[in-house]
Amino acid sequence: MRAVRPLWRAPESLGSPAVLLAVWLAGGLLLAFILLPILELFAVQTAGTILRVARQVDVRDALALSVVASLLTAVVAAVFGVPFALLLARAEFVGKSALAAIVDLPLTVPHTVAGIALLMVFGRQGVLGAPIGSLIGLRFWGTLAGIVVAMLFVSVPYTVNAARIAFENVDPRLEMVARTLGMGPLQVLARVTLPLAWRGIATGLTLTFARSISEFGAVVILVYYPMTAPVLIYEMFLRYGLENASAAAALLLLVSLVLFVLFRHVAYGSRRPVGGGR
Amino acid sequence: MTALDVAGLRLELGAFVLGELSLNLPDDEIMVVLGPNGAGKSVLLETIAGFHRAVRGRIAVRGRDVTALSPEKRHIGFVVQNFGLFPHLTVAQNIALAASLRRDGAERRSRVDVSELLRRFGIAHLADSGPVVLSPGEKQRAALARAEASHPDLFLLDEPFSALDAQARDGLRFELARFLRDMRAPAIFVTHDRVDVAALGTRVALMREGRIIQCGAVDDVFRRPTSRTAAEILGIENRLPGRVEAADGRYALVRVGDAVLRAASAVGRAIADEVCVAIRAEDIRLTPSANAPAIADENRLAGAVVALQPLGPLTRVVLDCGIRLVACLMTRDVAPLGLAAGAPATAIFSVSDTCAVEP
Repeated sequence: MRAVRPLWRAPESLGSPAVLLAVWLAGGLLLAFILLPILELFAVQTAGTILRVARQVDVRDALALSVVASLLTAVVAAVFGVPFALLLARAEFVGKSALAAIVDLPLTVPHTVAGIALLMVFGRQGVLGAPIGSLIGLRFWGTLAGIVVAMLFVSVPYTVNAARIAFENVDPRLEMVARTLGMGPLQVLARVTLPLAWRGIATGLTLTFARSISEFGAVVILVYYPMTAPVLIYEMFLRYGLENASAAAALLLLVSLVLFVLFRHVAYGSRRPVGGGR
Repeated sequence: MTALDVAGLRLELGAFVLGELSLNLPDDEIMVVLGPNGAGKSVLLETIAGFHRAVRGRIAVRGRDVTALSPEKRHIGFVVQNFGLFPHLTVAQNIALAASLRRDGAERRSRVDVSELLRRFGIAHLADSGPVVLSPGEKQRAALARAEASHPDLFLLDEPFSALDAQARDGLRFELARFLRDMRAPAIFVTHDRVDVAALGTRVALMREGRIIQCGAVDDVFRRPTSRTAAEILGIENRLPGRVEAADGRYALVRVGDAVLRAASAVGRAIADEVCVAIRAEDIRLTPSANAPAIADENRLAGAVVALQPLGPLTRVVLDCGIRLVACLMTRDVAPLGLAAGAPATAIFSVSDTCAVEP
């Protein structure tokens, strides 16, 4: 077992205090690099400026649209991604690693490229967009469905990968024991596998949500109107300049952070039984 | 009634082939399946539990043919490595879950009382604890209580101790044996640890490369291995190749190198048969003098000590008696006997401890 050391004590593997100092210097700069822009964004705001943009109807609509679309994306990712993650975790078949690589593909595609590709498939004349539009009337241009499609493309790998790791970490012997106790395969899934993998799945869904609400490139190409918050902030920046855009930006960041913390709390709040009589 | 009847079972799992094998477990008996890693012991248990489909053969639990049934319909209590408690549930919830799933059947008794089970297994104070904080002994009790809650017809235990250190294992073994006896539950216990056999089992099956090599009452198998492989699995250190020279009603003469040994279980073997002579290191006594009075029904081989290998309270003594022999004795006896590398020593072992088996 590894003892928790105070920050200033070097782990043996780092060697001399000089090395430790260098590592802390590098790490500290990195932390500052991440935190400074975010803090600066809030520092220039007053409660007044944030409240003022929060009262603007277009800002509120864009924020609401962003939140709703991101939540919907997480739901769609759960419905399509979690069962597939279970398959990847449990089944052995030829070409499995190739399928897993396909899932990771969106992570390497530039998001504007993703948007253009999606437009060609789901757009008015797209190979899927046209027939789906004429058959069931579901259109992906200028609609919530289009925003979800764009968000899903860039964010679904997080759900599949996290859920796959979560399922792989469930001991198959626990599932065997559950079967011998009298549970059918679906009952085992509901009462043993999913509860044990839930945290990992929730983490993946949270990441998918976070990635979706912050998505700009793919969304802006597929669906410019109605505007999600990142698209609106971009337009405000172009039209009214930095000051106006930064207030809306701070508001979006605030909303995403609050929701992010909330989801993490839901995922980790359901503690496993630990204590008791000991 | 037979608890388990496996007949002509054959299973193919990729390159691994199990069987063809047959097993029979009478009610109230505990069979230990002993074999090296990779022998297919766990696969055998998983097949009995219903997780692999056999190519051929029949599996009956308490006279009920379960060959085609899925695991949840086989009425089997399965205990796995680290005991397999569900970590997201408390001990009481683990047991309650099993009780709630109890199969409907003719012998359905009154509702299983979870608190009654907790009390019987001495874990009432742990009812609301999560499995993560339990000691191995407490986990074992909780796992047995959970299995018992579902009234299994047969217990299968798949190396539940293999992740534990030797100390923890010692206590758990006898406790497990006691619980299984109290439950009057027939069980199959799979292990690669020989110590488990006598501590837990009434019967033992030796397994290697997907086959059962020998099966029988624990004492019989330990005293009378039938093959070189069985002797190896049982940990009999001296396995010497030999040839039968003569046989009469009481024993046979087996030539091993330059020596001729009398072997009890060579009776019935034909002259010139190739055999393996198996002698337990613990059954060999040593004496420094080469000319102590000879006693009937003993083999004697004079030679010299090659090396002493201390093992704490025991010491292995490697001897050159024309053939290489290993003896195992109490370390405190080493000095009085004047044993040291190069010193003369005579090995004495009884004819009844000298087994001539399949080579």
